[in-house]
Amino acid sequence: MFRLFNTSRPSALLQQLGGLSLFSELSPRELKIVAALVHQRRMLAGEVIFDEGEEGQAIYFILAGQVTICRQGEAERPIAVLEAGQVFGELALIDGGPRSAQARAASDCELGVMFRGDFFNLMESHALIATRISFGLARHYASIVRRLAAGGAQP
Amino acid sequence: MSPQRYRAGPLVWAGVLLTTCLLLAVFQKVLWLVLPFLFALVAYYLVLPLKQRLVLRGLSHDSAAVIVSIGIFTLLGLAMLLSAPWLSAQLSALQSGGGRYLEGGLRFLADTLAGLEARFAFAARAQIGQAVMAGIGDFIENFAARHLADAALAAAAWFPSLLLIPFLAFFMLRDGWRFKRFLSRAVPNAFFERTLHLLDRVDRTARSYFQGLIKLTVLDAVCLALGLWLIGVSSPLLLGVATAILAWIPYVGSIAGCLLVVLVAATDHPGSPSVAYAAIALFIGVRLLDDFIFMPATVGKSLEVHPLLTVLMIFAGGAVAGVPGLVLVLPLLGIVAVIGETLGAVLSDPRLRARHRFAKALLQRQVTRDLQG
Repeated sequence: MFRLFNTSRPSALLQQLGGLSLFSELSPRELKIVAALVHQRRMLAGEVIFDEGEEGQAIYFILAGQVTICRQGEAERPIAVLEAGQVFGELALIDGGPRSAQARAASDCELGVMFRGDFFNLMESHALIATRISFGLARHYASIVRRLAAGGAQP
Repeated sequence: MSPQRYRAGPLVWAGVLLTTCLLLAVFQKVLWLVLPFLFALVAYYLVLPLKQRLVLRGLSHDSAAVIVSIGIFTLLGLAMLLSAPWLSAQLSALQSGGGRYLEGGLRFLADTLAGLEARFAFAARAQIGQAVMAGIGDFIENFAARHLADAALAAAAWFPSLLLIPFLAFFMLRDGWRFKRFLSRAVPNAFFERTLHLLDRVDRTARSYFQGLIKLTVLDAVCLALGLWLIGVSSPLLLGVATAILAWIPYVGSIAGCLLVVLVAATDHPGSPSVAYAAIALFIGVRLLDDFIFMPATVGKSLEVHPLLTVLMIFAGGAVAGVPGLVLVLPLLGIVAVIGETLGAVLSDPRLRARHRFAKALLQRQVTRDLQG
């Protein structure tokens, strides 16, 4: 009866999560721990994932497809186009502020979503994973700073 | 643009109060299932941190649930085995002394009433002592004939459903997270983040309520046991635990607990009513500590409901569903309030509704693309 609730494909998810820059340092066992906290959502091309100014409750990982980041109401002029393997929505999650831009699905896409409470619970209770994810986030921000310094668009 | 925290309006609150009362009325009809479920929920939230710790150490949810359950059952079994001689001695003493305690309590009451009559003329004229003792005597004489058979039948009917508690607690521990996933999967994308927030708040409210209730019970039991031991009442630990558990039922439970303590104190020290008065003073003191310090620091933190509304809802719970209503009303109100507030926030947000309609239109366009001419 409880198979009713268990329709996920954990091995496929593990592979997809392993391909994310944020989790590239995690061991398969650690990835399994993270995967248990990730929700999977499918979005259609054009669908709004979150709006600018919204309260940020989750961090998103692109498992397949593309996502555009843009100012509210300026979907035709994206700030960045993100590909599979990239992360977004982490800024509002970390500083607790509102979403700084709108996120929309640029193509039909599959996203991993980790809720704020689960994310911080993981970071507080698992030092090794927390360190590796923190390094992942630091690398992510370093690449943004480098790109901005080189005059490129923010991913 | 900064997100503004939604505050539920009068309509949402009216809905919350009405839903709570309706649920209480329904729950009263299936009490045989609701009470084991409630106790299982208490057990679940008590051991959930252990399971979460194991999951975060890399164990699967199923293995973590099995390990925690086996561990808890082993510990409980050992505790019961070790405490069985002491517990049976205490219980048999209480059982054999049942009539003695009743007599002691009646003697204490008769002495107190006689003292009142001696001191106040109006009490002597009204013959308070005689009237009260006659009423109590009549109640005791007819109690067995009227209620004992019903009580025995009810206990026999309740026993099997109480066996459900460990069963339910185990499945909650093993499959609770799957159930939450199952619920969240049914939520449209536009409402997903807010709904995750809702599920998390419901979970946190229930967890902090039940964990707070256990902390409150332990604090009450320790204070009462310590106080009873100091004033020289027998079986202080057993009495402390029993009265602390009785206090789960607001008002009625406290009165029953106080009565129990006074009966034992009056019987243990028949010649000195001051011990029984000290027990009453201790009980009132612990209740005050409970209401003003322990409760706000444990259970009160979990319910973001105005204290006046809380008291009114306790009375409403009692009126709708009797004693079970008194027990169930506060956790139910806390959870329904969180659900009501978040549903209000989700459904009254025009932007979220518009995004949901837009997503539905996108889907419609996608699935009918080859059908359009």
